[in-house]
Amino acid sequence: MQTKTKPQFDPESPKIKAYLDDVHHGTFIKEGTMVACATCFPGMTTPIPLDESHITALDGTPHGTLYGGTSGRQAHLFIALFHGLSNVVLEMGMPEGAIETAAVCCAGSRVFAFVNGARGGRSVSVPQTDLYGEDFIQEWGYTRPVITDHGECSSGEPVVHAVAGPERKSVVAVTSRHIVTIDATADAANVKLTVVGEAPGSGRIVLGSRGGVFGRDDGNSLWRFDVAKGSVQRHAVTLPKGFGDAPLTWATDAASGLLYTAGADGNIYSFHEGKGFSGVLAQAPLAPVGPMAVTFDGRLFGFCGNEMSKMFCFDPSTGKLANLGVAASVLERRRYGYTFGDAVTGRDGEIVFGENDNGGHLWLYFPRIKAAGARA
Amino acid sequence: MQNPSGLDRRNFLKAGTGLAAAGLAMANASAKAPEEYGVHWYPFLEHPDSDTCWSLSVGPDGRVYAAACAEGVPGGVVKPVRYNEKKDGLDYLFDLAAMVHDPGTSGRATQCKIHYSFAPSMSDGVLYMATHLSGPPIDLPVYNPWYSWHDEKRRFIGAALLAYDTRQEKVLWYDTMIPKEGCRCLLLDEERQLLYSMSYPRDHFIIYDLKTRKHRDLGRISSINPQTLFLDKRHRVWTTDDYGHLIRYTPETDRLEVSPFTLPHPQYQTGWHSVFYDVAPSPDRECVYASLWCPNTNLIRIWPNEGEWPRIENLGPATQDRDTTEVVGMYEDHCGGLVFAGDGQLYYVASRWRDPKYNPMSASHKEREGVVWRLNPKTLAREEVTTLVHPNGFAHYVTRGAVDHNGDLFFGHVGSYPCGIFRVAMPAGRKRENAHLPLRVWG
Repeated sequence: MQTKTKPQFDPESPKIKAYLDDVHHGTFIKEGTMVACATCFPGMTTPIPLDESHITALDGTPHGTLYGGTSGRQAHLFIALFHGLSNVVLEMGMPEGAIETAAVCCAGSRVFAFVNGARGGRSVSVPQTDLYGEDFIQEWGYTRPVITDHGECSSGEPVVHAVAGPERKSVVAVTSRHIVTIDATADAANVKLTVVGEAPGSGRIVLGSRGGVFGRDDGNSLWRFDVAKGSVQRHAVTLPKGFGDAPLTWATDAASGLLYTAGADGNIYSFHEGKGFSGVLAQAPLAPVGPMAVTFDGRLFGFCGNEMSKMFCFDPSTGKLANLGVAASVLERRRYGYTFGDAVTGRDGEIVFGENDNGGHLWLYFPRIKAAGARA
Repeated sequence: MQNPSGLDRRNFLKAGTGLAAAGLAMANASAKAPEEYGVHWYPFLEHPDSDTCWSLSVGPDGRVYAAACAEGVPGGVVKPVRYNEKKDGLDYLFDLAAMVHDPGTSGRATQCKIHYSFAPSMSDGVLYMATHLSGPPIDLPVYNPWYSWHDEKRRFIGAALLAYDTRQEKVLWYDTMIPKEGCRCLLLDEERQLLYSMSYPRDHFIIYDLKTRKHRDLGRISSINPQTLFLDKRHRVWTTDDYGHLIRYTPETDRLEVSPFTLPHPQYQTGWHSVFYDVAPSPDRECVYASLWCPNTNLIRIWPNEGEWPRIENLGPATQDRDTTEVVGMYEDHCGGLVFAGDGQLYYVASRWRDPKYNPMSASHKEREGVVWRLNPKTLAREEVTTLVHPNGFAHYVTRGAVDHNGDLFFGHVGSYPCGIFRVAMPAGRKRENAHLPLRVWG
C-alpha cells in the first residue's frame, strides 16, 4: 500500500511561519500603491500594439505632463496626463523607420526624442501640448502633432541617451562615440544637431547640479561635458572602486541636486557635482539596478534584477534600503510588472515607471506617506 | 504493444473526412429515445500524493492518457497514467520527475503537474507532454514563483518536455522547454514540427522547434495565463489576452497580434479575465468551440478561417443564472472538458451548484455537481445527458475531455480527493470506432 509523501518541515516552526508570512505579504508591492495605465485613452482607443509598446524613455514637465517613447517592431511617441480631467495616454506618432526610443527630453517648447532604426540614430521633436484644457470625461478633443525630423545625430552611430540641459534650454545627447547638442530655444525648422566632442556612449547620462553632463567613460571613470562652455573633459571623475561595468543608471534629487547611481553589484552611491561620489550607501537586493527616481522627501525608488524585477526604496534619512517586491497593479489595470525601462518623478512626487515589456504600461507609484513620527 | 486504433496517418485523415456526415446521422437518431451514459470513476490510488488531474488527452494510439498531478504535497511529482481497457483500470507509466532527473526531493519547486500539456503526434506515435509548476519543495509548505524567481536554490528548474513513444512505451528524450517557468498549455503543429506553449508566471509565448530542440521566446502576452492555444488550417496559433481579445500568432510574419474586439462575455462584466479555458476543434476543423476561464462563461464558437479576424458566435451561458452582485468562485462556476464524440456532437461538463434562488436543491442533493451536456452543432440544441459522481466529494470541475478509439468519453477532474478520471460509456448507437480521429493537437 502506497502512502502519501511526508513533508520534511514542522509547520509550527518559527522559520516556516516567517517564510509563509514573507511569501504572503512580501512577494508583491509591500508599501505604497501602483496603478498600471495602458497606452491608450481607456475605453476609447486601443493601446500601442503588443510588440511596439516597450516603454524605454520618459520625461515630464513641472505641470505633470508626461512624454515617452517606445521600442519594438516600431517606435511610438506618446503624451500622457493623469491629473485634472485626464487619465489618458495619447499616441503622438511613429518616427519613420525607428525601432527604439533611446531618450525623450522636454526642452524649450518642444519634446525631443532620440530614436534608432534603419535610418540611423536621429532626433525628432514635437511641440509640447497642454492637455489640461481638455475634458476627458466628456467633449474632449485631440490632434496628433506633426513630428519634425532633425536628422541623424552623428553619422552611422546609434543614440545611446540624452538629457535636457540646464533650465531645459538645450539637449545633450550621446551616441556610441560622440556628444551632440541641440539649442532647444530655436524654432523647429532651425533646430540643429551639433557634434561637440568625442566620448563613448554607454548607459545613461545625467545633468549635474553645476551644469555638467556626465556619462560613462573608458576605464573606471566618467566624462564631463560642460554645457555652458561646450567642452568635454574625459576621465573627469573616477568611479568608486568596485563599481563594475553595469550600464549606468541615474536618479536626480531635484531638491538637493544630489544624484544617485548604482554599481554592477547593486551597490547604491550618491554623486554630487563638485563633491564627488559617496561611499556605498546601501545594496539593492538584486543586480543590475534599473530605472530609479527620487520623490520629494528624498526617498529613492527603483527596480533591480533582470526578468522579474523587484522594487526597492532607499531612504537617505535612515540609510536603509527596503525590498518592496514585485510590481503589481490592481487599480485601473490588473497587471504584474516585470521589466521597466525608465522612471521620472511626477508632479506630486509620485514616481512614474515605463514598463519595458510587451504591452508596456505606464506605472504610477504613490509612495507610502511617512508616519508622523518619522518627520524631520 | 500494438496500437489499438490500428491507424496510421493516412487512415487517420480518411477517418476524419467522414466524421461530419456520420455525426449528423447519429444526431438524428439520438432524438428518439432516452439513452444511457454510464459513468465510471478511476481514482489515482497508486499515486496517493495525487490531488489534481489537469491534463487528459487521447494519444496517437487512441488510448486515453491523464496526468496524476501532486501539487499540494511538498515534494510531490506527477505521474502520467493511461486507461487500460483490458483491465478496466489505470496503468501508471512513470515518475516524470525521476525521468527528467529532477526528483521531488531536490529542495526545489517540483515537477508536480502536466497542465493542459499533452500534445499527440499521429505520424510517429509520440505523445508530447510538458510540465508545469506550483508544487512546493519538499521542505517548504508553499511555492510562489514570483517570490522565488531569483532564488537559485528553490526556483523551478523549468518546464520539462518529454517525447513519449506510445508504440514502444518509452520516453525517447526530454529537454527543458521553458527555463525557470512552467508550461500552462501546449500545442503541436505536427506538419511544421513546432510546439507552442504559454509560460507561467510571466505569460510568455514560447515556440519550441522539434527539429533543432531549441526554444524561442516571443515575449509576453498579458498577466493571466490563457489555458489553451489552438491551431487553424493556416498554421496560425490562437489564444487570448487578459481582456478577452484574441491573440494570433502568424508564422509568416512572426508576430503576435491582438484582435480589435473582445470575446462574448456577460454584459455585466467588462471582458476582463475572458481568457480561453478549453477549446475543442470541430471534426471538419472549420471552427472551434470554447469556454472561458471566467465565472458565467459563455460557450463560444469561433471560425478562424473566415475573414481578417474570425467570426465569433455567442452560444449562450454554459452555467446557471446567479445574483450578479455576488462573487461566485472560479472553482465553483466552471465549464470544461469540451470534446467531439463519435456521434459528431459536442460534449462538455458544466458545474451546477445550489443557489437558494436560481437553483434550489434538496438538502440530500450534493451541493455541487458536474453535468455532462451534449450540444448539437447544427441546431445548437443542448441536452443534459448525465452527471458525474465522485464517491466522496464533488465532481463539478472538469479540466479536459477526450474520446478514445472505442468512442467512450473521458474527463479529468480536480477538487476532490482522491483525484482521478471519469469514463462515460457512450450509448451503443453513439459509439464509433476510431472516434478519436482526427486528433486534437493541443492540451
